[in-house]
Amino acid sequence: MAISRRIPLLVLAATTVLALSACAQSNGTTSEASTDAPATASAALPAPFDGDPVKVALVRQSGAGDYFEAWGSGAAKQAKSANIDLTVTDARNDNAKQASDLEQAIASKPDAIIVDHGNTDTLQPLITKAVEEKIPVVVYDLALTDATGVVTTSQSDESMASGVLDQLIDDVGDGAKVGYVSATGYAALDRRAVVWNKYVADHKLDVVFSTGKVSESTATDNIPLVDAALKQNPDVKAIFAPYDEITKGVVQAVNQNNLGSKVKVYGIDISNADIEVITADGSPWVATSATDPSAVGAAVVRSLALKLAGQLDEDDVQFPAKTITQSFLTDNSIDNVTSLREKEPSLDLSDQVTADWLPANS
Amino acid sequence: MTSATLPPKTASFAERGAAFVVRWGFIGVTVALIAFFVITEPNFRTVDNVFGMLKFIAPTAIAGLGVMLAITVGGIDLSVGASAGFAVSIAAWTMVIGNQVGAVAIGVVLLGGLLIGGLNAFLIVVARIPDLLATLATSFVIVGLKLLIVDGKSISSQMSLADGSTAPGKFTADYLWLDRGSLGPVPVPVIIFVVITALLWFILERTRWGRALYAVGANAEAARLAGIRVQLYRTIAYMGCGLLASIAGLLLGARIGQGDVSAGNSLLLDAVAVALVGVSVLGIGRPNAWGTALGAILIAVMVTGFTMVGLPYYAQDFGKGIVLLIALLFSFTFSRRRTVVTAGSTTSS
Repeated sequence: MAISRRIPLLVLAATTVLALSACAQSNGTTSEASTDAPATASAALPAPFDGDPVKVALVRQSGAGDYFEAWGSGAAKQAKSANIDLTVTDARNDNAKQASDLEQAIASKPDAIIVDHGNTDTLQPLITKAVEEKIPVVVYDLALTDATGVVTTSQSDESMASGVLDQLIDDVGDGAKVGYVSATGYAALDRRAVVWNKYVADHKLDVVFSTGKVSESTATDNIPLVDAALKQNPDVKAIFAPYDEITKGVVQAVNQNNLGSKVKVYGIDISNADIEVITADGSPWVATSATDPSAVGAAVVRSLALKLAGQLDEDDVQFPAKTITQSFLTDNSIDNVTSLREKEPSLDLSDQVTADWLPANS
Repeated sequence: MTSATLPPKTASFAERGAAFVVRWGFIGVTVALIAFFVITEPNFRTVDNVFGMLKFIAPTAIAGLGVMLAITVGGIDLSVGASAGFAVSIAAWTMVIGNQVGAVAIGVVLLGGLLIGGLNAFLIVVARIPDLLATLATSFVIVGLKLLIVDGKSISSQMSLADGSTAPGKFTADYLWLDRGSLGPVPVPVIIFVVITALLWFILERTRWGRALYAVGANAEAARLAGIRVQLYRTIAYMGCGLLASIAGLLLGARIGQGDVSAGNSLLLDAVAVALVGVSVLGIGRPNAWGTALGAILIAVMVTGFTMVGLPYYAQDFGKGIVLLIALLFSFTFSRRRTVVTAGSTTSS
């Protein structure tokens, strides 16, 4: 064996590892690069933002899907303009990993921690620990049993779900045959489920199927579930799928059963890809509830910044939502979130949790 | 198998150099990475973080040790992720719905792990289905069975049941202690991880059972002719693997504090990677306990260190992949001892 000829290979392998580490060294901040000029602040940054970058750990349950990607980039952009060095971990829906991520974030003693989604039972003890160690914590869309010392933020799920469900009742009326596609164990979905159950009872809706799941590829994984449910109940009039990744799967299933003209689909959340699906010819998705995810991600970071600067008045911040109908989108020829924001200016949250030194920047 | 690790005296300088790299290269990479993070990241060298990393990787390492056992007898087990997920749901079901204490849940889970291992062994040893296929099939069966038992739901305390009542039990403190407790500064999962590693090392390297397991993996026919009960040892290895996977699941369940139905999904690939890295460490060229533990620690160091320097999570997968590739190069390409793999079996001659 001519082993000597293999030495260069070894060197190559070693170089690869070194190159990888070198790359890591030069990449000190994770804020996503943005080409847009940041919105200019009309006042100087107060302490603690006036010195070295403030180190904040963002511990996410998942960063996958249009909504979460936009949320993350909004948060990163706002962080950059507020002199925050944001370190992001993404557990990819692995709750044990998220617990470890949070534990390690606490061990690294950052100036503050943001927790984006997660399981209550998993994260509550760790969040309590962070509070005990005097690390400011902001959670987004995470139900806590003990929120002492924690800033809780959320989209107003109540307003989102009821806005869309009002539309559903207007369209199909009381007592209609309806389907429900969602999952349990996610704070936002559970809150939307409460509203749904209330509407079902108040309007005597006939729920002919309840299915759905959340996974690493939620949209795809819901297609077969809804497909089967539709084969069983082709006479259903409306489907409520209160999470856009699920809604997209539902739309696909409705279309592949050629029920696009008979079944109306009601979703929650919005993104560029969602708008494309909603405005497609013959799309059954007739209404959705929208917050601008990147505006929300940015607003969560602003809540944290105000908290650290001692300027946050309340410890529970809710971001309002708007109901967006298919006809509103087509009538205004809206084909992406940016133009939606122009036609519906209240979405950019530029009047929520801001300060003269902290303009909205998503 | 027992041939000298050192090259023969006639070996050229280059050959000796290569042998040195094979033997120490992997440990060198690990030490270099640790040194790099220790120097650049002040938070990396805290005691909290060291135990945090070990705790984080403990379930993966324990499942990896299980896969290592299967590799030892010349097989592989692809059902460890499913078994660990099964353990999470069964533990939750026993405590929350069955209203039992943690000790009972632990007993049920360990028994379940042994049964899964037994099923794998039956399919592979008696029904003679190839190991890759048998354990792939059982992993689907296990996941499906789990979903049937829990109605596809994540089981949590205070959940409402089908009849409208509220679940009677909750995750008990003694069970949660498995992940959240610590003895002095040392988290419980780290203790379990170290004890299991030491125990497996002792069994494999210091007892005749260990030698028999290796012999079965190296050449089953020769082992049989030497009077070793090959079927029995293979069965023991798979049952051990099932048991270890269920222990990994116990730790995951205590970490999550909920019968999360998606738990364990991401465990399989890391566990197999860790076991394969273990084969190459120290140039031993055969599965071994300390190597597997070291492989797990390397992954923990990389994930934590790269996160601290701000590398996004998706770049970490790439890093993990490169490390695994290098480990495999050490095992199969550069090693003077030829590591032979035939359809899921790894032996060294």
